[in-house]
Amino acid sequence: MKLNRRHFLGASAATGLAGLSGLPLRAQENVLNVTAYGGVWEQAIRDCFVAPFEAKTGATGTVSLGGPAQWLAQVEANPENPPLDVLIMTPDLAVIAAEGDLMDDFTVEKLPNLADIPQEFTDACLGKGTYFDYGVGGITYNKQYVSEPPKSFAAFVEGVAAGDFIASVPSISYGPTPVFFLWALNNALGGTVDNVDPFFEAMAKMKDNLVFWAGPNDFFNHLASGEADLGIYFDGRTWNHVDEGVDWIDFINPEEGGAMTTVAVQKPKHASPLAWDYINEMLDPVNQSKFADILNYGVTNKKVQYSEKLAARVPSMSDAILPPYAEIARVRNEWVDRWNREIGM
Amino acid sequence: MSDTVSSFAARHRRSLLLAPALIFLAVFFVMPLFDNSLRSFAPEEGSGFTLARYAAFLTDRFYLGVIVETVVLSAAVAAISVVIAYPVAYVLVRKSGRFSGMIVFMLIAPLLTSIIMRTFGWQVLFARRGLVNQWLVQDLGILDAPLRWLNTPGLAIAALVHVLVPFAVLSIASVLQGVDRRLEEGALMLGASRWRAFREVTLPLTMDGIGTGAILVFMIANGSFVTLVLLGGGFQTLPLLIYQQFNTTRDFALASTMSTILLVIAVGCLWLQLRLVRRQGV
Repeated sequence: MKLNRRHFLGASAATGLAGLSGLPLRAQENVLNVTAYGGVWEQAIRDCFVAPFEAKTGATGTVSLGGPAQWLAQVEANPENPPLDVLIMTPDLAVIAAEGDLMDDFTVEKLPNLADIPQEFTDACLGKGTYFDYGVGGITYNKQYVSEPPKSFAAFVEGVAAGDFIASVPSISYGPTPVFFLWALNNALGGTVDNVDPFFEAMAKMKDNLVFWAGPNDFFNHLASGEADLGIYFDGRTWNHVDEGVDWIDFINPEEGGAMTTVAVQKPKHASPLAWDYINEMLDPVNQSKFADILNYGVTNKKVQYSEKLAARVPSMSDAILPPYAEIARVRNEWVDRWNREIGM
Repeated sequence: MSDTVSSFAARHRRSLLLAPALIFLAVFFVMPLFDNSLRSFAPEEGSGFTLARYAAFLTDRFYLGVIVETVVLSAAVAAISVVIAYPVAYVLVRKSGRFSGMIVFMLIAPLLTSIIMRTFGWQVLFARRGLVNQWLVQDLGILDAPLRWLNTPGLAIAALVHVLVPFAVLSIASVLQGVDRRLEEGALMLGASRWRAFREVTLPLTMDGIGTGAILVFMIANGSFVTLVLLGGGFQTLPLLIYQQFNTTRDFALASTMSTILLVIAVGCLWLQLRLVRRQGV
């Protein structure tokens, strides 16, 4: 047979169509599609949760990388046949997803390890999810340039306003900013969810000595390059840098208490029932201990035993403040709009 | 049967060849764009059609300021890029000789690096304790104290121009290459100075390349995101605001409204620039 260009194009098109028909457009029966942030997070999810899940069930876990806003949008677009079986969520989005009746209820019958998670963490997700990991937003500083770091949010504002430090703070384009920075600082300065004037007044005082970070790597660049002396960041990420050999960085949980920045796990309605087995592994104390060791973040199972190194780093749940996520979700867009108009993007 | 198929294929050969590309564009570009626009017209509740979001957006001084800032920034970046690109393109086409390949490689090489890495490079160079300040303060002693370069409009524009100049150079060079040099030689022989020959012969003949380069740079700058989000510059542009609606507030309808407005601006500017270029008689 003589193969000419027409035959080639026809054969290619047919092959392409045949290939498309076999695409796993929906999670297959024995495959669970779970979610993770990129980088060290992904590896920790694979090693600590996916591997034991696969060993116990014989099923396969695939990991989708991205962020909660994107994952929730994917589920909202196709709630009857969600493309993801387990979602990693920020607490405010977990509330929105629960209120939208997109997620299944969490019960001890479905998740035996849920019995060892503080009830308030499940309640905070309106019973349709729970927190499995937490960090604290506080003050990270460069020890080479800051010999006496501020111990509180109030001292941080005073020092930056006076020009003692150049501070790197999260920009409003970073999803968690309204909670772990805006709410936390406002709360420390005497504000409430319905009165964020203290925060905006503090920002106005500090504005000449601020730079904004768009993502966690951006913050580290600001400190490493000398653009900023200190800033608002997460404890776990700071300790990760220390473990990587960065000896000039340190973290302070402000005296007023940093905002507890939690990570929730949820199962969309109509997702694979295998999700319960996987989530139970996520709540398992042994798996959570391993996860905490890798990421330097606290975990929520009460039976977890931290290593000596981690025990010194992870703040107890009483040393951090659990923000009122449901209340914040109600006014968050107003805060963002005010930030845009008064501070800029 | 086979003959019928063959004759149909022969008659519609061009359409058949275009079909895969057109289908791809329709499915992955036009339909999502259409769907996105529809969302901006959907009322908060129920079905129907509303212009409320556009009315609210276009009557709010803050949002109007964002639109103006987006257009002015893109236009400034396009203008600066073309001014920088023209001499480079001229040298590339007329003077580089056997080094032309190397110049083209040097132009394209930065595009092979991730834009995030390049932007982080600007942060490292121009940080308060970065190399440039160290040089100015400690090595040369020109300044007493380091300057705050980051988060200034000038640096954000410089970083955008750095990313986009190659597009302008390649657009201008491709047109410059097609200009018949005998026309310039004729002008010189008739007594024109080099500058006049360039201004009245070469430049008008390359307006098409300048227009294409400017349009290209304007379009990319109009939608640029990474450079502005990392270097700030105090600019408030539509792409930053759109990202915020997806990432922070989850107001998808408002994001759709803004992206439709951004699209209309881009198409409008494209049309305007094409008209201007054509008016030059090119």
